[in-house]
Amino acid sequence: MERPVISPLLFYRDPKAALAFLQNAFGFETRLVVEDGQGGVIHSESFFGPAFVMVCGPPSGKWAAPGDLGGRRTGSVHVQLAEGIDGHCEQARAAGAVIEREPADQPYGDRVYTCLDPEGHSWSFGQTVKAMSPAEMAEATGREIRETL
Amino acid sequence: MSPFTPSVFYRDPMAALKWLEQAFGFETSMLVTDASGAVGHAEMSFAGGKIGVGGEWASPEILGPAAMKSPASMGGVGTQFIRVALPVGIDEHCARARAAGARITQPPSDQFYGARVYRALDLEGHVWSFDQPTAASPSVEEMEKASGLTIRSSL
Repeated sequence: MERPVISPLLFYRDPKAALAFLQNAFGFETRLVVEDGQGGVIHSESFFGPAFVMVCGPPSGKWAAPGDLGGRRTGSVHVQLAEGIDGHCEQARAAGAVIEREPADQPYGDRVYTCLDPEGHSWSFGQTVKAMSPAEMAEATGREIRETL
Repeated sequence: MSPFTPSVFYRDPMAALKWLEQAFGFETSMLVTDASGAVGHAEMSFAGGKIGVGGEWASPEILGPAAMKSPASMGGVGTQFIRVALPVGIDEHCARARAAGARITQPPSDQFYGARVYRALDLEGHVWSFDQPTAASPSVEEMEKASGLTIRSSL
């Protein structure tokens, strides 16, 4: 299998609980867990489709979970779904995700919901309901949209 | 195509886009600006992978007390880093990043799990990890023996 090019790594105080949450809430599948023998996870791969996120922790040094920082975080992860976004949101909610924005159609053609996981990492899920060109998105949103810097 | 697009937040997202192009060879694929020219949302692509780039933001009605911050505003602390898979040319990639001002925190070196890896801090302190497969493809047993770690294929 081809390696995904871009993979985010997220820090958790309780990485094993986080992996279980990602499975139950989002339908990810843990396929690799590397443990240090002292309760820590130094590497893991939680798959969705052909790609994965990495869950590690507990964090030390310059790393932290958002829950340790009053909810401040330096990244967030977007996940594009092929179908079933409303059901996905219900499954996430039932598993304990805090839904920030309920599923709603966006002017750029995607249906999107956002949520927080138990340690405060921020997730957004999207599903394209109307494929739009950048020009159509610009028209619909009133923003300038370019395809290069 | 990966379903995942991780986003990173910067105090100066426009400078970050330029820097990421120059240092890492990422390409801006979408740049959404508002009437003042500020970056609303941006996407960059690299070898078929995608990241999001944005400015710092907070919105009490959407996020409550939470906020999207640059490590530059957090004393260098981060909650996420991004790993980028390179097929070839990792040493040259590192040299290019260094020349563009990346702080190389771990120079390219071969790891016990069959990858050559380097790590760099970008202009605002986000951490990036680049890896390239080596000729070695160690078994799980060999990796456990070399590292003293426990490696499992499920939770």
